[in-house]
Amino acid sequence: MSLHRRSLLLGSASLGAGTALAPRSAGAADPVFVGVSGPLTGPNAQYGAQWKDAFDLALEQLNPAAQHKLQYVFEDSQSDPRQSVAIAQKFVNDARIVMELGDFSSPASMAASPIYQRAKLVQFGFTNSHPDFTKGGDYMWSNSISQAEEQPTLADYAITGLGRHKLGVIHLNTDWGVTSKNLFSAAVQAKGATVTAAEGFLPNERDFRSTLVRIRDSNPDGIVIIAYYADAATIVRQIRTLGLTQPIVAVSSVYSPKLIELGGDAVNGVHVITTFFPDEPRPGVQRFVEAFRAKYNRDPDTFNATAYDTMVLASTLVNQYGPTRAAIREGLGKVRGVPSVIFGTMQFDQTTRRVEGAQYKRLVVKDGRFTLFTGGTPS
Amino acid sequence: MSAWFDYTVNGFVIGNIYALLAVGLALIYGVANLVNFAHGSVYVVGAYIGWAAITHLGTPLPLTLLCVVVVCALVGVAIERIGLRALQGSSRIAPLLATIGIGLVLDQVVQLVWSPDPRAVPMQVPEWRIAIGGGTIGALDLLIAGIGCSSAAVLYGFLRFTKLGWAVRATAQDSDAAQQMGVDINRVNMAVFAIASVLSGISGLLVGMYYNQINPAMSFEATLKGIVALIIGGLGNVPGAIAGSLILGLTESYGIALFGTSYRNLFAFVLLVAMLLWRPNGLFAPRRAAAPEPMVGTFIARSLPVKLPRWVVPVVLLAAALLPLLNQPYLLQIGANSLMYAMLALSLTLVAGTVGQVSLGHAALLAIGGYASGLLALDAGWPVALAIPAAGLITAGLGTALVWPAFRLTGHYVSIATLGIGEIVSLVILNWTGLTRGAIGLGGIPPLELFGVDLGSVQGTYWLCLVVLVLLALLQLRLLSSHLGRTWRAIRDDSVAARSHGVGEDRYKALAFGYGGFAAGISGAITAHVYSYINHETFGASLSVLALTMVILGGMGNVLGAVLGATLLIALPEAFRALAEYRILIYGVVLLLLIRFRPQGLMGTV
Amino acid sequence: MLEVQGLQKRFGGVTAVADGALTLREGELLSIIGPNGAGKTTLFNLISGLEPPDAGSVRFQGQDITGAVPEALAALGIARTFQHGRVFGNLSVLDNVLVGAHTRLRAVKPALPLLGPLLEMALAALRPPAVRAEEAALRRDAEQILARFGDRLLPRLHQPAFSLSYANRRRVEIARALALRPKLLLLDEPTAGMNQTETAEMQEVVADLKRSGLTILLIEHKLEMVMRLSDRVLVMDNGRRIAEGLPQQVRNNPAVIEAYLGHRHAGAEPVS
Ligand SMILES: Nc1ncnc2c1ncn2[C@@H]1O[C@H](COP(=O)(O)OP(=O)(O)O)[C@@H](O)[C@H]1O
Ligand SMILES: [Mg+2]
Repeated sequence: MSLHRRSLLLGSASLGAGTALAPRSAGAADPVFVGVSGPLTGPNAQYGAQWKDAFDLALEQLNPAAQHKLQYVFEDSQSDPRQSVAIAQKFVNDARIVMELGDFSSPASMAASPIYQRAKLVQFGFTNSHPDFTKGGDYMWSNSISQAEEQPTLADYAITGLGRHKLGVIHLNTDWGVTSKNLFSAAVQAKGATVTAAEGFLPNERDFRSTLVRIRDSNPDGIVIIAYYADAATIVRQIRTLGLTQPIVAVSSVYSPKLIELGGDAVNGVHVITTFFPDEPRPGVQRFVEAFRAKYNRDPDTFNATAYDTMVLASTLVNQYGPTRAAIREGLGKVRGVPSVIFGTMQFDQTTRRVEGAQYKRLVVKDGRFTLFTGGTPS
Repeated sequence: MSAWFDYTVNGFVIGNIYALLAVGLALIYGVANLVNFAHGSVYVVGAYIGWAAITHLGTPLPLTLLCVVVVCALVGVAIERIGLRALQGSSRIAPLLATIGIGLVLDQVVQLVWSPDPRAVPMQVPEWRIAIGGGTIGALDLLIAGIGCSSAAVLYGFLRFTKLGWAVRATAQDSDAAQQMGVDINRVNMAVFAIASVLSGISGLLVGMYYNQINPAMSFEATLKGIVALIIGGLGNVPGAIAGSLILGLTESYGIALFGTSYRNLFAFVLLVAMLLWRPNGLFAPRRAAAPEPMVGTFIARSLPVKLPRWVVPVVLLAAALLPLLNQPYLLQIGANSLMYAMLALSLTLVAGTVGQVSLGHAALLAIGGYASGLLALDAGWPVALAIPAAGLITAGLGTALVWPAFRLTGHYVSIATLGIGEIVSLVILNWTGLTRGAIGLGGIPPLELFGVDLGSVQGTYWLCLVVLVLLALLQLRLLSSHLGRTWRAIRDDSVAARSHGVGEDRYKALAFGYGGFAAGISGAITAHVYSYINHETFGASLSVLALTMVILGGMGNVLGAVLGATLLIALPEAFRALAEYRILIYGVVLLLLIRFRPQGLMGTV
Repeated sequence: MLEVQGLQKRFGGVTAVADGALTLREGELLSIIGPNGAGKTTLFNLISGLEPPDAGSVRFQGQDITGAVPEALAALGIARTFQHGRVFGNLSVLDNVLVGAHTRLRAVKPALPLLGPLLEMALAALRPPAVRAEEAALRRDAEQILARFGDRLLPRLHQPAFSLSYANRRRVEIARALALRPKLLLLDEPTAGMNQTETAEMQEVVADLKRSGLTILLIEHKLEMVMRLSDRVLVMDNGRRIAEGLPQQVRNNPAVIEAYLGHRHAGAEPVS
């Protein structure tokens, strides 16, 4: 296989001892490869770039002391199913690759799942929250935050944290948004509160005024946003220009420094939950944040953190259970207590093949900065 | 009741924004007789130029606007001069496709220069707002309305009272006559593209400020909404475009009020298709069935098909059949992808090439096929081997029924109507949660198998696709060599003459769409079983454009050409992997060069 | 055979046909002459169903066909050619003529509602003997029709029409119309743009058709040809009939001379 400037990015590798467990009769110094299928170009290109930064950092930290040096092969799929299936064929037939990471979007990942499942190569869709992703087969695993866990947390923030009982919901009308909205509604009902209206918008929509009139007329005492930060910023601005003053609570995907850039003054007072917050004092978080800042001279975000966690997990699996596809699959079932920025420690539920126990933080935007919310009534 | 007042105000506010786009589109259509699919891309360019001027140079509003005006005028001139002028006198489809290619290139350049990340555009307009009903209207709303109305007024003045304006009008009325009277058509076209591009760029900037956010992906939506507004107002009618925009805004707003946010675009596109059917010349033109298109069909490049030596096809076929023996699964997967798209291209080359109905919504047929087969297998428990052909038949029937009302349209109108119908199909899939599971999509679709024989491996998929494609291609060739072939092509070349000789257009268009729906439905169905998961976006509008490019690359109506075009366009991006982010750019440029230098495609039109 | 009464057609402000009226008997050849813009072509369009009339009626063989669609009229046996030539450019000469024979397809086009089109597609793919025989017969017939034009077209059977000379395209159009086996043939300036030899050939072809008993409505500017061929002549100006009668009568009618002299750019040749 040719080494393209873009398609093959090597993690830092150095010589070290290794066992001859690699699939081809590999020498001791041979690195072990994971394949990454993700967007480096196209509309989602920024996410692929964020992954790379985190992967490189993780490998730089882990490889020197590891028995098996891990490297990754990154193939650009543009998060397009047509390309992710071709990449899947490439990976499953590349004997050096012991595990696959990605793709970014659920449709691109799930289209490739049958190929990975058939070839018995673990597909680790670390951003795939679609409830059906891990149902694709016993080789589909994910440490993406489970909405079944996140949505009750969000409901709890709105209801117990902020004392809101009539919630108007605006959600992205995609697989992720609808799943989240349904789980959120269920959680709200379970807590005896009500969802007054739930409005789904399409990606690329910019004008929410009429949607917000519907929300307003359902008389909510709080507004919940299930979206990504870019849309959320626009929605919040329009909520405020429409003169609605209810507190706003949003899911963790809204947490991003970009929210403040795109939302301006309007986002002051917005509440979000997040699994990753750079100012969180927990040592695991601080070690990651400091190393990231040192290498890239900026704060990491949730995508960086998830990708970092994933590469740490991959290295752990290879070194604890051996650098073969079968060993990785088995290891995922057994591994416990893998250090994680998002979860503290990671272990997988054997039936859902997902991780539980993400540690949520409650944040509120104050004077153009995210700060930990310390209870009390909203500003 | 106050809510209705608010919905009305909101409808006007958003319509106001559409108007800036639609005015430029109307102007270009009026003069160049062309629906400019690159319009939204210029809008994005304007937004980014404005953003760059403010953030890097710290320009105040007048200077920012000046930068946008200058750059967008240049872009407009370049589009006309480099992209379109050479296409005068070539087939009518050529300029339209060229604008699609130009749009692709502009979008990619913006994305390469400024990244796909959304950017915040600093507000440079005073932030005061006045309360109206339950909402507020700000200075920027008024500025946008002001620019919309005054640009319409200035245009009106320009068109009525200046010499160049007179030339523009003369050209719009009858470009041949205008040319004979000494009007420099090229200068007029260039001026119009410059003006329209400036309008589009300014609206990009203002809309960016309005929402405090721009990204390169907003071009498609902008083009689409502009075109809908344009059709409502009447192609080429500038004041009509403004009214059409406001009507579109109101329709969307009331649609949200009545049915909810997820129905917004459904309303917009239903309005579009309804307008095309009932009043193709727009609300403000006298009602007339015939659209102002030249009646004689010049939509196809005249050429002879390339004659291949007799041995070529059998040898290629043999090589294709033996490909699995190489044991290169990656290559095979690309081969299988190419074959699936080749089925789609077969379908489109029949409809667009042979019958001349240039469809821009063909991906919707894939979606219908994919969902039909997936649902039959999942919910009705049908074996895959039955579900796939059944999906082909369902797509044939449903697809034909959906475009049936559009059969009386010609030329550009067909393209716009099919674009709208395609969007409607996708939105119905999204909203008909009970049947289609809505946004969640269809997961766990069983893999390919033929009565117990597992075809889920890449070899199996490839074999199946190859056999199906060869069968479909042979059937299509057989039909083309029968009386149907000449009847279809007669309708394409001159539907009036064909009707005068007893050819019932509807019947033969229906047969073509029926067969095309069948082939595309099978393609979608196989794709669904290969992917195991599809949702309403799996078969998006960009696939329709891709399919059309395949068909043009191969040669309109040419069966072998369709297969070749599909293979090249699926395989080339994989080969260009090394060029990563320049891939789509290169592909856009190739499309433009092709339209310019080999409009009849590689294999020639049939 | 054909009765036209009180036909009217307006385009915006222009009244193209103000009072179209004519009667045509079986086997007759009626010529319509008049200056450019007189409304002759529009009258053809109204009769052949391309435009709906604003008022008036058209009867064909005793049947009211006002406002009928062109394909229905073709099925009744009305065929036409177009002034500016509308051959199917990308179709071969033979295919052009075969499209003209579309209404004569029987075996491949079962007359069933709904199922008919599907059967048509199936038969086109399977081609049972009856379908093949029909197609072969139509082909022979098409070649015979083309033989009327000597060896102008026969050697070019498989060339695309766009590659033909202007005169040959006009010939293809007439051959295509004849392939319909029309009862009534409308010819709109069949010799426009032809040189003298070609015109003479065309005149022979039309004379031949007339001899074979075909009913013909002819728009023609070349008066010599009109005088030779016509049983009667109808003169139009400004959408109205200004004279009608035997060729000799019309030729000497002062109103006709006035109309022609009044329109100097008329394509009429001096009356010999
Ligand atoms: N489709 C049309 N739209 C507008 N005006 C038309 C149309 N067809 C014909 N006319 C006008 O009707 C008049 C008669 O035209 P036509 O029937 O072509 O005359 P002729 O065939 O006798 O030369 C002319 O003034 C012409 O400009
Ligand atoms: Mg005429």
